[in-house]
Amino acid sequence: MRTLWLELYKIRHKRLFLMLTILLSIELAWGFMAVSTSMAKNPDATTWSAILVTITAMNGLFLPTGSAVIVSRICDMEHKGRTWKLLLAASVSRKAVYAAKFVSAAVLIGGAVILQGLVIVAFGIGYGLAEPVPIGLLLRFVAGTTLTNLVVIALQQWISLAIKNQAFSLCLGMIGGFIGMTASLFPPQVGRLFIWSYYVDFSPVTYQYVNETMLFTTREIGVHLPIIVVLMGISFYLVGSIHVSRQDV
Amino acid sequence: MNTVIRTENLSKRYGVVYSVQRVNLAVGEGEVYGFLGPNGAGKSTTLKMLLGLVKPSEGSVSVFGKDFSRNRLEILSQTGSLIEAPSYYGHLTGLENMRVMQRLRDVPDKHVEKALQIVRLEKQKNKKVDQYSLGMKQRLGIAMALLHFPKLVILDEPTNGLDPAGIGEIRELIQSLPHEYGMTVLLSSHLLSEIEQVATSIGIIHGGKLLFQGSMEQLQRNSQPHVWMKTQDNEKARRVLQEMELSPSLQDGFLVMEGMGDREVAQTNRALIMAGIDVYRIEEHKKSLESIFLSLTGKEGSL
Ligand SMILES: Nc1ncnc2c1ncn2[C@@H]1O[C@H](COP(=O)(O)OP(=O)(O)OP(=O)(O)O)[C@@H](O)[C@H]1O
Ligand SMILES: [Mg+2]
Repeated sequence: MRTLWLELYKIRHKRLFLMLTILLSIELAWGFMAVSTSMAKNPDATTWSAILVTITAMNGLFLPTGSAVIVSRICDMEHKGRTWKLLLAASVSRKAVYAAKFVSAAVLIGGAVILQGLVIVAFGIGYGLAEPVPIGLLLRFVAGTTLTNLVVIALQQWISLAIKNQAFSLCLGMIGGFIGMTASLFPPQVGRLFIWSYYVDFSPVTYQYVNETMLFTTREIGVHLPIIVVLMGISFYLVGSIHVSRQDV
Repeated sequence: MNTVIRTENLSKRYGVVYSVQRVNLAVGEGEVYGFLGPNGAGKSTTLKMLLGLVKPSEGSVSVFGKDFSRNRLEILSQTGSLIEAPSYYGHLTGLENMRVMQRLRDVPDKHVEKALQIVRLEKQKNKKVDQYSLGMKQRLGIAMALLHFPKLVILDEPTNGLDPAGIGEIRELIQSLPHEYGMTVLLSSHLLSEIEQVATSIGIIHGGKLLFQGSMEQLQRNSQPHVWMKTQDNEKARRVLQEMELSPSLQDGFLVMEGMGDREVAQTNRALIMAGIDVYRIEEHKKSLESIFLSLTGKEGSL
């Protein structure tokens, strides 16, 4: 608890949440613009599903890059000020700091994703969609996105802490964003190797082109994929935490 | 006197090279121990091993009479340190940095004020540390080390980057720590001149090996004056002196002898004259501490 309090104290003045909000606002503005134009052209497809599909695809681009930046900002301060030796000499355990950083990042980005869900609801209602708000789909959307994101955070945190030069972790974030955005173009067996493609893979709504019109269908994810992803997350976290704890200061 | 730090054959190897080799430190309670060595001698590495920041390859450390590896938390809670360049969160203010340490050390607010006041940073405490000068960062580092008024303070080149006035100030501060707060201070430096005025004991490390350890007086005793004599015929004079069981060495056209009191000088002089050798000059050369240091560590010095 003490380390978590400290971690939150340390990220003050960094305006991380503000940064995230701006990033996601850009994403949503862009997403909603795209959705409005396509719905205007194609009144049949004026559904919640259309919104969710679009935003999910854009999350594949924005969340990996945004997470990379946030995690890097949280981790980089220990490198910049050479503070590991300060913390260790004050008998703080590196594993505890590692956990606190993970929780801080997860809370920040998780909060932003929930906020995103609320904005989607507001937009849908504001647009005057006929169907009622699909609470179930929205919850599954938020859950899938958050789960994928936790794993991405674990991976980013490992790289950001293990390699001082933050260019590496930021670059990884950008590669992630690229893969996340293009995930639906890969064959599933290939896509599933990369954590970033799960933003789209976990989407409760998918689409097919039938006679050049988009046909949205909802789908069940099952338990298999989430378990694999959770295992991925646990391994990234543990490997990262152990690796970083063993590094020289 | 109790020993606060004791190391046994403490060694650190990077690859095949020993950065620190078989170092046996002994720091007594209430001392200001000067740990001296040129660049790359292994000072920081040794101090890091004392704090558990670097794992020793061989040997052991005990602090406050307890084995370090088994009593790490307890020992660290009574130790303050500043190793190499100061550590800080640049986006936070000086005061916020102190609050972070306060939380870690679990001490009351008045400790924070006191520590900031000791290093004279009160006026700058609300500035971001990124905007501090090097000397101010160093002061903040010292304040963080002293925050919980620990029993042992380990400072690695604390006057790095300070201006002359600051150096004097920190020197006085260090000198006052043992009697004002009952602290023991281990202080590293690569300048003997900086340490000789504050240290009660000294350890000299070079190439990873501890070359000398003892009190300031012991070191000074090593610096007994040498007597330099210039004669008409140094070679012949040397043979005469050797018969008197003296072993002069020849340097720059002088005969150089150690450990000579007034009587011995008079005797040698008389003996040379009796042997028909004119004595041109008799000089006494005192070795400065700096030159002892250099003779121990080699003139080519560091690296
Ligand atoms: N992580 C490391 N890997 C390899 N070699 C190292 C490492 N850390 C230190 N060394 C080596 O150990 C030796 C001692 O370094 P150390 O930092 O202890 O010197 P120092 O006495 O503190 O010097 P200075 O006065 O310059 O601070 C150096 O030769 C250095 O290159
Ligand atoms: Mg050093």
